[in-house]
Amino acid sequence: MRHFFSYLIPFSILFWTAIASDYYEQLILKPLPQSTLLASFNFRSNASLSQFEAHNFRYFPRSLGQVIQHVGTKELHLRFSLGRWDAESWGARPWDGTKEGGTGVELWAWLEAETDEEADRKWLSLTNALSGLFCASLNFIDETRTTRPVMSFQPEGDHPNSTLANMQLLHGVLPREVVCTENLTPFLKLLPCKGKAGISTLLDGHKLFDASWQSMAIDIRPICPDGEECVLQIEQTIDMVLDIERSKRPRENPIPRPPPGHDMKCNSSKPYHSDDTCFPTDFAEGQEWALDQVFGKSVKGTCPLTDPDVPPLCIQVPNIRDIYTTAGATELKNPNGFSRCYKIPSDADFSMMLPRMSQEGEDPATNTRELVQPETPLLYAERSFTGHGYERGGVRTILTNPSPDTEVEFVYMESLPWFMRIYLHTLTTHINGEAVPKNNIIEEIYYRPALDRVRGTQLELRMRIPPASTVFLTYDFEKSILRYTEYPPDANRGFDVAAAIITILPSTSPDAPLARQKASSLRTTTLLLSLPTPDFSMPYNVIIFTSTVIALAFGGMYNILIRRFVGADEGPENVAGLKGKIIAAVSNLVGKLKGAKGKVD
Amino acid sequence: MPRLISAAMALRRDPRLLKLPPYISLLCVLVGVVWLVLLPLDQYSRRTYISENALLPGQVHTYFGGSDQHVFRAYRHEVDALLNSTNVQVNDELEKIFKGMGLKVGRQNYTYHSSGETYTGENVYAILQAPRGDATEAIVLVAAWKNLEEEFNRNGVALALTLTRYFKRWSLWSKDIIMVVPPDSRAGMQAWVDAYHDAHDGAQVAALPIKSGALQGALALDYAQDGRFDSVHIAYDGVNGQLPNLDLINSVVNIASGQMGMGSVLQGLLRHSQKYDDNLRTVMRGMLSQALGRAEGPHSCFIPYHVDALTLKPVGNGWHDEMGLGRLIEGLFRSLNNLLEKLHQSFFFYLLIHKHRFVSIGTYLPSAMLIAANFTIMAIALWVKSGYKEVEPAQDKPKAEEVKDGEEKTEAMPRSVVVERQTLLPLTLVAGSQFLGFVPLFVFNQTPSSLLTPVFAIFTILNAALPHLASVFLTSHISQPPSPQQYQLIKSFSLLLLGMFLSALATLNFALAFLVGLIASPLTFSRPWADEWIGARYAHAAALHLLSPPVVVLGGSLLAGVGVHEVLREAAFGWNVWGMYTPLIIWCVWWPAWLVGEIVVLGRPRDGEKEKKA
Repeated sequence: MRHFFSYLIPFSILFWTAIASDYYEQLILKPLPQSTLLASFNFRSNASLSQFEAHNFRYFPRSLGQVIQHVGTKELHLRFSLGRWDAESWGARPWDGTKEGGTGVELWAWLEAETDEEADRKWLSLTNALSGLFCASLNFIDETRTTRPVMSFQPEGDHPNSTLANMQLLHGVLPREVVCTENLTPFLKLLPCKGKAGISTLLDGHKLFDASWQSMAIDIRPICPDGEECVLQIEQTIDMVLDIERSKRPRENPIPRPPPGHDMKCNSSKPYHSDDTCFPTDFAEGQEWALDQVFGKSVKGTCPLTDPDVPPLCIQVPNIRDIYTTAGATELKNPNGFSRCYKIPSDADFSMMLPRMSQEGEDPATNTRELVQPETPLLYAERSFTGHGYERGGVRTILTNPSPDTEVEFVYMESLPWFMRIYLHTLTTHINGEAVPKNNIIEEIYYRPALDRVRGTQLELRMRIPPASTVFLTYDFEKSILRYTEYPPDANRGFDVAAAIITILPSTSPDAPLARQKASSLRTTTLLLSLPTPDFSMPYNVIIFTSTVIALAFGGMYNILIRRFVGADEGPENVAGLKGKIIAAVSNLVGKLKGAKGKVD
Repeated sequence: MPRLISAAMALRRDPRLLKLPPYISLLCVLVGVVWLVLLPLDQYSRRTYISENALLPGQVHTYFGGSDQHVFRAYRHEVDALLNSTNVQVNDELEKIFKGMGLKVGRQNYTYHSSGETYTGENVYAILQAPRGDATEAIVLVAAWKNLEEEFNRNGVALALTLTRYFKRWSLWSKDIIMVVPPDSRAGMQAWVDAYHDAHDGAQVAALPIKSGALQGALALDYAQDGRFDSVHIAYDGVNGQLPNLDLINSVVNIASGQMGMGSVLQGLLRHSQKYDDNLRTVMRGMLSQALGRAEGPHSCFIPYHVDALTLKPVGNGWHDEMGLGRLIEGLFRSLNNLLEKLHQSFFFYLLIHKHRFVSIGTYLPSAMLIAANFTIMAIALWVKSGYKEVEPAQDKPKAEEVKDGEEKTEAMPRSVVVERQTLLPLTLVAGSQFLGFVPLFVFNQTPSSLLTPVFAIFTILNAALPHLASVFLTSHISQPPSPQQYQLIKSFSLLLLGMFLSALATLNFALAFLVGLIASPLTFSRPWADEWIGARYAHAAALHLLSPPVVVLGGSLLAGVGVHEVLREAAFGWNVWGMYTPLIIWCVWWPAWLVGEIVVLGRPRDGEKEKKA
């Protein structure tokens, strides 16, 4: 574990100034190919541990701080994600994938607990509290969805050895949870400026949730800089990839009606090009946007609490490109030539504009001059179901190491629901289409089988993929039949299976490039598992039919049991006699009455 | 009550009861046919309705149009320019267009072999990733380069390209949209769907390089016709007569008529009077295509994987242009996009009468079941009958006196005594003929295309001679020729199997079970003729020969105006590529039953036993 922390050191040096100050925020814009724009918002507040323990929270959000104190959380990571990262076009993930989760909500935390039971109890109160705080169904992370990962996660903060021994890691995912505005509002409320000033004014549900990919992250961890007091740090991150064409649509007219014919961008070199025939050139034109256009508003000054030394807004484009800003902003160009930052006036609105690069002339636009080329990711991962039908299925994960000379080592973790019963013996690996013994690729397997209705399957594989090769990892599973009350209301949709988490381990060789010296991670997409689903009107019919049958059977049976059947001539004689006697008695009585009447008269 | 029970008990032993089953069987067949003919009446059908409320068909504004038509014209120029190009050149160009839209593109090779012919090609497909989705679900838009009639689907492909580009602009998609362009409408789509579900044979079909989530629906566009159109033809039959969810068809009809003012056409009936005769015609055409079980369009391959799919084809001469069809598809995709769950609410088993009326399985199934039941009733009756032996009352009198007074009244009638059933020969014969059925199945599915007609001719001749040879062998070349009881058992076993197969099939493919049952129904009444009736024997055998599978196949292909060679090639293609089981039903269910029936008719039961006993 110690050696792991050493990888965090370069990471910490990078943000040295940030750690020292109490609050800082920064927005990094990065135009990506195919007319998209990555916007990474980062907000970070510190509270010294002693102050925190004395309930003096300062910039640390009080609501969250109290929850954390109450359940003894040492480190907490919460993710809300939507959409998918297109690694093929957009390259490596922002923050090396460390600040993103699988689709839906993902939560993992180190809790201080002596026993497993105590940890479970604390986890339950943590999920319930966070569920209220973030308007998410986190309380549905029950024991069947909770895992205790062994290899995939390591604490990011600096923990003293005494607490490390008692720290338990719990992890839960809700792949079905749809992230939306009701999650963003509480997220913004945690910020010191609460979205009223600074870069957080750009965050708006309409734009954020219209993004092609977005991830909201909260990380809370203790940081102990050398020679200084330990601080508890909360880092809130929002990453989103905006489709520029879609974002530029005005809010009052969001419908993508076909543009008028004369506004179309056409390829006029086509021989048939004319007024009514247009071969569209959608992406070839390069991107052009203004900040207030894509976000729908401009930055309202700066947050007064932020560290004035950190420029609040940076953009990663080649320095040769022109960028126009509103007056009063100071441009700071990074000497590497691919990034520049802006210091913006504290009380004026700020906006910037990236004009289109001319395709002709002295500086014709080329890919490298127009955009910073995205980095190749360390690993591509794609997961899908195989097979069809309601009885069995398979999962196939395609893992590609694009690097021509470096092998990649990572931990692949799946947490599967209990009704997906996997057969571990069917786990096979193919490299570049050829079956290879799995021991060549998989170095270590940690498997915790599922128990029906109690816990899900947890599978962690430590794997190593040779350079420039593609590994197919497949395994089979069987689908269980649920009890009919266990189906969700929209049962025929299927069941979401959480994303697989891939943690790329830091390279052990000392001369590895910087990108490989720290841990990075990525998630596959979620899957939709269709289980055999009953016709839910059927139980109703069955209840009606069985009730009818029982009613009929009971009536008949009861009748037979309590009645004695005898022939008409076998019955006791007094039956007829009794009737006669009664009739006789009645007529006697009537006669007497008549007689009495007569006497009176 | 006790009187009723004792009457029933008495009736149970009444030999007259055993005379009843043939009449019941006949009644079953007649009622089954009449039942089917009554179905198109309005009293027996129901109006269609949208059962899945999430679909909301026709409730959205469609915006496809305007300058998209300029794009459509440009794409059509691009597509036209590729008319004489090879499959790979076409795919190169389409890949370029898709990539220009910012989509992920995949290609897939396939090579199928059937009847000695090779069907090879390359599919190209593009995935429009749902802007905010995560690859859990997908809907498919198919535009085959060539339609089933081998016509160049130029407007279809161009329209699909334009629509894909248009869909890319929207951010509301909850499902990925996959656009597939197979080079033909028969093999390519099957290869793609198989590979998507990893059910493909790796030797013939390549795996897909990129995939999306679970398929929720598919629409195929068959728009080879030029000029304006009046209605859309909805082809809905899947392979093996499986059908898509009725909600999907209803949505098309609803959007086309309610929103677009287009007509919709089913089963090729361009003018539908919505009267009895057109209703019956629609049902019959629907049943025929269901019974044949072949693919009716690129959509058919999806249906066995429980992906609801349709093929839309503009027909007629009207005022709607390609933009109208595009808006219809946009409306449908918006409806499918609304789905939270897979289409499951409405019917999967139905017969459409016209676009607004249908018959559900509960109403139509009895007709096929009655026809299947006629075999079972006869089989059971024969089994019971074979366990007794009728004895002449005159010879039986001494015995009759011994019985108790209560049964004396039966004395005057022929009495029956229990006899042992000799089942070895009947079982062997029936099982043997069932296995023999695999011979034609294998031969017709493996013969090279050029030899199909001669092989069929030889088979038809052999088939005509086979029952006679078998009968001669049975009656004179084995030590103990079959007794009347054994003939009864042979027929009983054969009919029992036929009844069982057909009633099971009726739930899967109603039309096939009905048609096979109807043509095979004379087998219920096949019986051996005594030697005095030799003329009747051969007349009966000749009549049965007219209803033998090869003769029916020949007659059917003559009626339909296609060569028998074409029919056999299609059947082999269906078996080898689509997994169509119609040949299996014909050669392994119907043909053995027919063979046994013919042997029974030609049978000459030995009378020795009877004489001996007497």
